[in-house]
Amino acid sequence: MKIKYKLSDKFDYWLFGSMIALIIVGLIAIYSATEKMALTNYYKQLTFAVISIVIFFIIFFVRAQYFKFLSIPVYLLTLLLLGFVLISGHTVYGARSWLNLGPIGFQPSEIGKIGTIFMLAYWLSQSNVKLDNLRDLAIALFFGLFPVLLILAEPDMGTAIVYIVILLSVLFWAGIDLFGLFVILSPAVIVFLSFFGTVAALVGFLALVVLLFLFKKDLFLSLTIFIINLASIFLFDLGVKLLKPHQQKRIMTFLNPLSDPYGSGYNAIQAQTAVGSGGILGKGFLHGSQTQLRFIPEQWTDFIFSVIGEEFGFIGSFIVILLFSTLFFRLLRIALKQKDSFAGLVTIGFLTTLLVHFFINIGMNIGLAPVIGIPLPFMSYGGTALIVNVSMIAIVMSFYRDKKEHT
Amino acid sequence: MSNEEGKALRYSIYFSTILIIVTALTLQLIRIQILNSGKFKIKANENSVKAIPVAAPRGVIFDRNFNLLVGNKPSYNLVVIPAYFDTSSFTRFGKLLGFSKETKLEIIRAKRKYSKFKPIVVRRDIPFDVVSGVNEYGDELTGVKVEFVPKRDYAYGVNGAHIFGYLQEITADELKNSMGEYVGGDEIGASGIEKYYEKYLRGKKGKKLVVVNSRQQYIRDFRNGAMDLPPAKGDDIVLSIDKKTQIAAENALKGKKGAIVAIVPKTGEIIAMASAPTFSLSELSVASPSEWRAIVFNKDKPLFNRATMSAYPPGSTIKPLEALAGLASGSVTPRTTIICKGGLQYGDRFFGCDHIHGKVNMVKSIEESCNTYYYLLFLKMGFAPWLDFTRRFGFGRKTHIDIYEEKKGLLPDSAYYNKRFGRHRWNKGLLLSLSIGQGEVSVTPLQLAKYTALIAGGGKTVVPHLAKGFIDNKTNAFHPFSFDSVKINLNKNDLAVVKKGMFEVVNGEGTATNIKDAYIPIAGKTGTAQNPHGENHAIFIAYAPADNPKIAVAVVIENAGYGSTHAAPVAHKIIRTYLRNLIHKKMRKLK
Repeated sequence: MKIKYKLSDKFDYWLFGSMIALIIVGLIAIYSATEKMALTNYYKQLTFAVISIVIFFIIFFVRAQYFKFLSIPVYLLTLLLLGFVLISGHTVYGARSWLNLGPIGFQPSEIGKIGTIFMLAYWLSQSNVKLDNLRDLAIALFFGLFPVLLILAEPDMGTAIVYIVILLSVLFWAGIDLFGLFVILSPAVIVFLSFFGTVAALVGFLALVVLLFLFKKDLFLSLTIFIINLASIFLFDLGVKLLKPHQQKRIMTFLNPLSDPYGSGYNAIQAQTAVGSGGILGKGFLHGSQTQLRFIPEQWTDFIFSVIGEEFGFIGSFIVILLFSTLFFRLLRIALKQKDSFAGLVTIGFLTTLLVHFFINIGMNIGLAPVIGIPLPFMSYGGTALIVNVSMIAIVMSFYRDKKEHT
Repeated sequence: MSNEEGKALRYSIYFSTILIIVTALTLQLIRIQILNSGKFKIKANENSVKAIPVAAPRGVIFDRNFNLLVGNKPSYNLVVIPAYFDTSSFTRFGKLLGFSKETKLEIIRAKRKYSKFKPIVVRRDIPFDVVSGVNEYGDELTGVKVEFVPKRDYAYGVNGAHIFGYLQEITADELKNSMGEYVGGDEIGASGIEKYYEKYLRGKKGKKLVVVNSRQQYIRDFRNGAMDLPPAKGDDIVLSIDKKTQIAAENALKGKKGAIVAIVPKTGEIIAMASAPTFSLSELSVASPSEWRAIVFNKDKPLFNRATMSAYPPGSTIKPLEALAGLASGSVTPRTTIICKGGLQYGDRFFGCDHIHGKVNMVKSIEESCNTYYYLLFLKMGFAPWLDFTRRFGFGRKTHIDIYEEKKGLLPDSAYYNKRFGRHRWNKGLLLSLSIGQGEVSVTPLQLAKYTALIAGGGKTVVPHLAKGFIDNKTNAFHPFSFDSVKINLNKNDLAVVKKGMFEVVNGEGTATNIKDAYIPIAGKTGTAQNPHGENHAIFIAYAPADNPKIAVAVVIENAGYGSTHAAPVAHKIIRTYLRNLIHKKMRKLK
């Protein structure tokens, strides 16, 4: 039977178009930020952009159902690389996150996002896996948290947070119930509260006990959860003590960025000044004083948005936000329409990855989020991230092309 | 299907999450880019626009007739920015730059420091061929700059080193307390008028706005200098110094050690003030550290202002004051006579006189400087009136002249002797040498001049001062400074007797008839300060014209012997120069 279809049913122009537009805007911004001294970075990124588009089409033409079978190998490769980087990786900005393969250097934690999302999606899309089964949930948590532990050891707090949010969003999309969410989140909340002193931690435990009563689960389960919570505090405390002083300091700075106004705080203040001084129309391409006089160190990486903000003003910034919004809503729509739960979960995982990066990165450029060194998708300088992000879109578009309209 | 419902719900939640994130970012963008953009624009400007202070020329210094004494001239400093400096220039341009070994080391060391972009002044007041050389090779000589700075010019015929004072690079402590008026490397008044009137003279720094990058490197001028603030020259100081008299005073002391102070009796204005040996301010301003040390540690102490800081026994110049004390205390009358047999035996000690004067009354006692008269007077009236009158005339305390370099001398009182010899362990005999201005008492030439001015002015004068006022740089208006007046009660008749004595010193048969002037009636008093370390110091105090005094002078010449032979001619010369100058000025006015 022959079905008539439009090309747009097979190829999401909006998704592809907004991605390309963001890459181009990113190249313009990198050109401006590097024009005075580091123009080689611009040419490198231009090369990466071309390579990533080639990779896009290679991945795009892979049939959607094959991805599922890649899940376990890619995940194992992820763990292998993350372990390997701890042994022989390069330290950049205090984190041992770079791996060199011959002339090519890359960050396994970027590639690992795909592997982890694949694995989670693979596990949760198994027909016999049920999230209200505590054992199945625990396995899912294990798949999601194992890479987090390896990344924390680098230590790269920013990326670890992205992984945790991905895990939560995938579990959410897989239909975890309120109790499951409670089981996962309560230790994190308790640990977080413990930072604010004993009283806050005790209040947290009191709330925990009350909630355990309200959920009316059996005594054994409730007690287990309570003990897990209690243990989490001690384990966390032990973990912090095992860290070296400078690593402890980094965690504290992350929790309170204002404690270090001349370190990472300086960049945030300068970036916000750049964006704010751009006004409505901006200072014009290559005319931003903050950018051209290099007040923001390494601006082409985590602070690339401030170039747009300063030189193209609110209009330019808002266009970037609109392009990302288009991308996100298209991805969410594709996830919704997917009948194949693996494809849906993968799409949500990718969407969350991009969304978290988008929010935290722009947020830290405009004074809305703490400074965590994570790049802006498609725009920040960096080959690994660009290729990984473009690959994600390629995979989702492959799902879109081969989507099953009916189960 | 409940699964489908759940999915729809999760879709809505996720959709809302994206919406919330996008809205939050957009609102924050509106807040900082539209609502508060002005604030951030100012911040960005402050970031990249830097104000470089521009040195203001100091106010100049005039004499009482508005003759320039201290001016300004352009000068050039050689400045190096270590970060951009190429050390191969040391050899390639060695001759042109003329750097010393220390300078080279300093630059090499600075290149490694964090502050390597901060310019350092390596040579001050470089000659013009170096200026043009550096400009010519500008492109190759990276990191080397010539900086224009106004510099003091002393080439106006007056040395005046102790009056004007010198400038010195501001110290770290002064900089800290300067409330931002100065920057490091600034020169600041370190002595004399330059220090006392620093606030008037220094002017207000200008600002040059330049665009810099995050490393504070110069990019370009901000708005082509449209917003720059030009420096405001300091206020000019008008001194009461009379240029010609000052030059005469300085010349009179050439090759000698000593000091001269000349004052207008009624107003306290200092006409001339000189101290020798002296130094050259223009040489000092370019002196290397070793040259500086040579001046500071010179055994003749050229930096020391003898006019205000050296204390000498007044010798016989104290006699007019003592005569006034004797009259006021009722111990003697003008007619009281004594017989001088060449000295006085008191206890086991003989107190000598220079001559056997025979019958001596008060006028003669001053005219011929009879010691015996004053031994007897002191024994009769006691220590108290002597102390009272020396105090009244301002000995033993600072005059509060308008320079900071001043000493108060020594006026011994009962407490002093109690401390030195023990309570009641001393008697009049011990003090008898005070009656002829010897012993413990010591006074500065400035105090002597003030004392002379008080006698000349009938007990009225003003705190001696060097500056009459300042000229406001903005309005060009002259504003006089005011100084406290000094008044002591003196009986008119008593004063007339003393003045008669002082007149006779020069014009009668006195001790300084060698300077008798056919045209100018001069009154004076000779003195010789005994010096246990060598030749005595010659002292002369005088005022003229005797009937209507316009000038009071004190002259001290160290190790010169008698006051009459060595100090009096100097005083005469000063008086003549000043009064002649005054007459010329009046005649010019009449024409």
